[in-house]
Amino acid sequence: MSEGKPQHEFITVEALFTENKKRLKLSLLTKKVGFDRKITEKEIHRPGLALAGFTDLFTFHRVQVCGNTENQYLKNLTKQQRVESLKRVFHFEIPCFIVTSEEEIPPEIVEQADAGHVSVFRTPFATTKLVQLLGEYLDEKFAPQVFLHGSMVDVYGIGVLIGGRSGIGKSEVALDLIARGHQMIADDIVTVSRRAGGALIAQVNDQLRYNMEIRGLGIIDIQSMFGIRGIRKQKRLEVQVELVDWDSTEKYERLGLKEMTCKILDEAITLVRLPIYPGKNISMIVEVIALNQRLKSFGYHAAIEFEKQMNRRMTHGKSEIKPLEPFFE
Amino acid sequence: MIERTLQIENKLGLHVRPAAKFVELASQFESDVTLIKDNLEVNGKSIMGVLMLEAEFGTEIILRVEGEDETLSAEALSDFLKGKIDEEFI
Repeated sequence: MSEGKPQHEFITVEALFTENKKRLKLSLLTKKVGFDRKITEKEIHRPGLALAGFTDLFTFHRVQVCGNTENQYLKNLTKQQRVESLKRVFHFEIPCFIVTSEEEIPPEIVEQADAGHVSVFRTPFATTKLVQLLGEYLDEKFAPQVFLHGSMVDVYGIGVLIGGRSGIGKSEVALDLIARGHQMIADDIVTVSRRAGGALIAQVNDQLRYNMEIRGLGIIDIQSMFGIRGIRKQKRLEVQVELVDWDSTEKYERLGLKEMTCKILDEAITLVRLPIYPGKNISMIVEVIALNQRLKSFGYHAAIEFEKQMNRRMTHGKSEIKPLEPFFE
Repeated sequence: MIERTLQIENKLGLHVRPAAKFVELASQFESDVTLIKDNLEVNGKSIMGVLMLEAEFGTEIILRVEGEDETLSAEALSDFLKGKIDEEFI
């Protein structure tokens, strides 16, 4: 269940426009044409070469960003050449054109776009800035996503997904963590998407918000109970803690030298299998797992350091090793 | 594994109370229950999961039951979904 599907198969030009009008300060230059055309990729294309006549590998189905270079090129052509060049480009089924140049643009762009049913937008942002902002938006829209069963909590800045079989007590552990001052992202069903650079982002569900079901109690609302300090909209997922029923025949990790990982949307994250039994303080252990993860990200691996120290003592003899400096006098 | 496509026939959809009833019923059986709507797959034994579907009137959902007592479970759950939920929960 972790192969993932994109949140959207496509977005329409209309959606792109309405959702980014403010953020990208877009204005529509053409008539309202081609608004139902579909954008199916997160990549963006600069149509420079296509305008110059090379259309063999023209990725016309992407959003086209027309910057200063394209604008200057078109301006340097004669009117006849310009019309020809633009006609050739707008003949393709392009979703939309975004002009970034603040300078005046040749009127033929709008004329030919109208004729070819391609909407042209203008933004005051520079090309690099626009590509970055638009890229973020499209990356989020087309990010592959999965729904995972579990509770997602931010513990000391580490995003922890608490998993395990139905009824094992995931929500109870999450609730305990929230009461200890950590933040809930989602309970029961966690939406996880993979963003650029391989970051796994877990998000709150619009449908469930910060409601949680506790067996024997019913539905409780974390947001009204704990306020802003108990919730978070999204968090990078870094550790999965799998609660398992204690089984004396099973072998559990004793040293922590072997790093277990699991794959979510093809990204490996740390996995800790935690056997539970009555009287064991699971939320405290989850806190320690998060702190240990932070130590590792700072370059300190307790199990490895301990192993090194032990090996030194055993190979050099105890006398050659200085006793530990006392921390407290 | 048993898979059935069902349509939500009551006016208010699979709202909070019937969802709880559905989960209660599903939990009486050993088999795993999955409900699928579009590309969303949820555990049929979890109230929050079933509610997340927001299965309103007319929605088509797939009921997937897998386990030793799957025939009994699938029968009971589809009977429930096809039954008169409206009259029961007002």
